Amino acid sequence: MIELHNVTVRYQTDAPALSSVSITIPKGDFVFLTGSSGAGKSTLLKLVYGAVQPVYGHVVVDGQNVTRMSRRQIPFLRRNIGVVFQDFKLLQNRSVFDNVAITLEVLGWEHNDIKKKVFHTLKRLGIEHKLDVPPIRLSGGEQQRVALARALVNEPRILLADEPTGNLDENNKDQILQIFKEANLRGTTVLIASHDRRVIHSGHHRVVHLEKGVLQESGNVQSKA
Amino acid sequence: MSSQKHNIRPKASTMGGGSKLGYFLSRALQNLRSNRMVTILTVSTITIAILIISLFMLMYVNLEGTIEQWSRKVVVTVYFDKEPAPQDLMSLKGRITSLSGTESITTVSKEEALKRFRSRLKGQESLLEGVSPDILPSSIEITLKKEFRSTDAVNIYVARLKKLQGVGEVQYGEEWVRKFMLFFQFVRILGALIALFLVLSVVFIVSNTIRLTIFARKDELEILALVGATPFFIKAPFLIEGMLQGAVGSLLAVSLLSAGYFTILSNAGNFLTFNPADAGLVFLPASYIAALVSGGVLIGFIGSLASLKKFITI
Repeated sequence: MIELHNVTVRYQTDAPALSSVSITIPKGDFVFLTGSSGAGKSTLLKLVYGAVQPVYGHVVVDGQNVTRMSRRQIPFLRRNIGVVFQDFKLLQNRSVFDNVAITLEVLGWEHNDIKKKVFHTLKRLGIEHKLDVPPIRLSGGEQQRVALARALVNEPRILLADEPTGNLDENNKDQILQIFKEANLRGTTVLIASHDRRVIHSGHHRVVHLEKGVLQESGNVQSKA
Repeated sequence: MSSQKHNIRPKASTMGGGSKLGYFLSRALQNLRSNRMVTILTVSTITIAILIISLFMLMYVNLEGTIEQWSRKVVVTVYFDKEPAPQDLMSLKGRITSLSGTESITTVSKEEALKRFRSRLKGQESLLEGVSPDILPSSIEITLKKEFRSTDAVNIYVARLKKLQGVGEVQYGEEWVRKFMLFFQFVRILGALIALFLVLSVVFIVSNTIRLTIFARKDELEILALVGATPFFIKAPFLIEGMLQGAVGSLLAVSLLSAGYFTILSNAGNFLTFNPADAGLVFLPASYIAALVSGGVLIGFIGSLASLKKFITI
C-alpha cells in the first residue's frame, strides 16, 4: 500500500512541485498518474522510492514511513520497488544479462541462481534470445523490456513507471502495457505516470490527475477498447 | 499465491564476507576491462604523476647524499705545540675517541703536515727548500658524526674537547661550517616545498581524472542506487578499481624510473662533466619505492572515495 498524507515538495525556491497531495493506493492496485509536463508526476514517483523528501507531510510505503527513513534504510525500501523510465536507463557497455542480473547481485544471490532467474524473467518477457547482446543493439521496445526485466526480476511488491511508453511505437506500447498488467495480476501494485491517452484508456484502471502539483481528480477510467 | 511468492524472495544479502570481497574484486576487474579507454587514461595519468614525484625523490636522495659527503669536510683539528710522547698521544687519542660525537681520528705528523703544505704550493715548492718539518706542528684531525656537524653541535663538541688534558689549539673553520649548514638548511626547505607542491599537484590531477571517469559512469551509480544497492555496495568496486589503477600506475612509474636509471643515470659519471656524488648516482632505497607504490594505491583510493561522495546521493 502507498499512502501520501498532505505531501508538499519544493525544489529550492520555485513554486511547489507537489502541493498538499493526499492519496492512498491499495495493495495490488493498478493506477495511472496523468497530467501535463511539470504537473508533479515524476516527483510523486520519486517520493515513493525515497529519491525526494517532502517539506511537509508523510509518505508511507508498505507500512513504513519513508519520510522518517534514514539514508541507510532507503536501499532496503527500494529492494521491494521496481522502477522503469522512458529512457530505459540501461548500461550500454554491459550485456542484457548483466543489466538484469544487477538487481539480484545487489541482493546477494548466488551466481547460478541469478543465471536461472534472469533467464526465466527474460523468457517471460520474450527476449531470452538477446541474453548476451548489449542494449545498444536492441530496438526501443526490446530495451524497455530489458528495463522491465530488471525491475521485475526480484518480483517487487510495487512497480513504478515514468512515461514507460514515451519512446515506443503503438505496437510496442501494447506489448509493454501487457507486461505491466501481467505483473499486476501476480499481485504487484503498479503506478504508471503517463500522459498518453491511448495507454491510459487501455483498460479499466484508476486514474489520478495532477495539475501544477495539485491533485485534481482521482477516479476510474473505462477502457475504450 | 502471489503473497507467498513475495515471502520466499531473499531480500537481504546471503553472501559471506569472503564471497562479497570476491564479488567486488571480480566486478572491479570486469569494470576495468569494459571501460578500457578510461582505465588506460587513469593509469597513464597516475604513472606520469608518480614518475614525476619519483624523479624528484631520486634527485633529492642524491643531492642529500652529496651534501652528506661534503659535510664530512667538517674536520676539527687539535694542534700540539710540542710533539707529545707516544704514550701521551695514545692516551689523548683514546679520550678523544670516547668523546661523544667523534666518528674517526687521524694523526698528522710534522712530516705529513709539511708534505701537505708542499702539495698546496704546487709549482712553488722551491720556497720550502731547506725548511725542516719542525716548523709545523703535529696534529690530530677529528671527523664528526653526522648529527654533530651543525654549527651549534660543533661549538659544543669543541668546548668539551678543549677541556681534555693535553689539548692545545683547536681549529675547525667556523665560517665554512656556518655557511655550509645554512646551504644545507636551504636545500632541505626548498626540497620540502617542491615536494609539497608536487604531491598536491599530483593529488589534484589524479583525483580530477578519477572524478571525470566516475562522472562518465554516473548512470551505473544511479542504476545501482535504484535497485537497492547500499552506498558501500556501490562504492566498493569503484574503490578497488581506484586502488588497482593506483598500484598499476605506480608500479609502471617505478619500472620506468628503474629502466631510465639502469640504462642512463647509473653511468652518469661517465658523461657528466660534474659528478656530484663520488660513488655515482644512487637509486632510490627500497623504503622509498614502497612509499611510492603505497602512495599510488592511496591516491587511487582517496581520489575514488572523494569523487564517489559527489555522485552518490542516496
